[in-house]
Amino acid sequence: MSEAVPVKRSISPIFWLLFGAGGMLSALFGPALILITDVLGPTGTGLPADFESYDHALAFARNPLGKLVLLAVISLFFWHGAERIYLTLKDMKAGPLPVLKLATYGVAAAVTLVTFLLLLAIGF
Amino acid sequence: MSERRPYTRPIDEDWWKKPPYLSYTARELSGIAVTIYGGVLFTGLFSLWRGPESYNAFLRFLQSPLSLLLNLLLLAVVVYHVVTWFQTLPKTMPKMIVDGKQVPAAKITQIATLAAGGSSLLLILLTMWVAR
Repeated sequence: MSEAVPVKRSISPIFWLLFGAGGMLSALFGPALILITDVLGPTGTGLPADFESYDHALAFARNPLGKLVLLAVISLFFWHGAERIYLTLKDMKAGPLPVLKLATYGVAAAVTLVTFLLLLAIGF
Repeated sequence: MSERRPYTRPIDEDWWKKPPYLSYTARELSGIAVTIYGGVLFTGLFSLWRGPESYNAFLRFLQSPLSLLLNLLLLAVVVYHVVTWFQTLPKTMPKMIVDGKQVPAAKITQIATLAAGGSSLLLILLTMWVAR
């Protein structure tokens, strides 16, 4: 066993890691995030009426910590869903694997890249 | 040609919509709700980049009754994700030994689910306190 045998390495652990990170982040804070940004914030319930105004949202997206939160939440939530949807569609034999990969991992990768670029374009 | 001819048990094409597999399918597809929320934030960020007019249209949609209804639905599915995520947790993590005894799976699920509920509640209260 000590001979160096070339091991065929799999890229899967990277996807599992992103899947797990997104799953844990959404399990810990998902319900709160939905309530804050989509329900309480826009209606000003328990929060100031201008909580989600253009100026406030822009200030959040220009803050380095705000940028990190947005990039982490958006990209990891997409990677989480991509893994689950890909494996389920694969089990369902819903289509050729390259197509399924493109429609799941491909979308998550594209969204991650565009989010990164948008956060840069919005400025500091 | 290979001599090996393993027997593969035939399985219906629609196995995933029948119990007991249905609960597995439902749990896995809750990932769609998590992705949709990522999509909402992404849309908001995109409209923010486009300018005030675009962002305000996005905000007006979030304020509409339709959006509120859809988001409550989204919330319900994500809560399902939270519950099933921590039901799976004891199966995916290393065995937990306390005082020489293995902590039962149900106990881990219970504590983790409570901790998750607490962290979500804390985030809401913290946001309200900071924004006040």
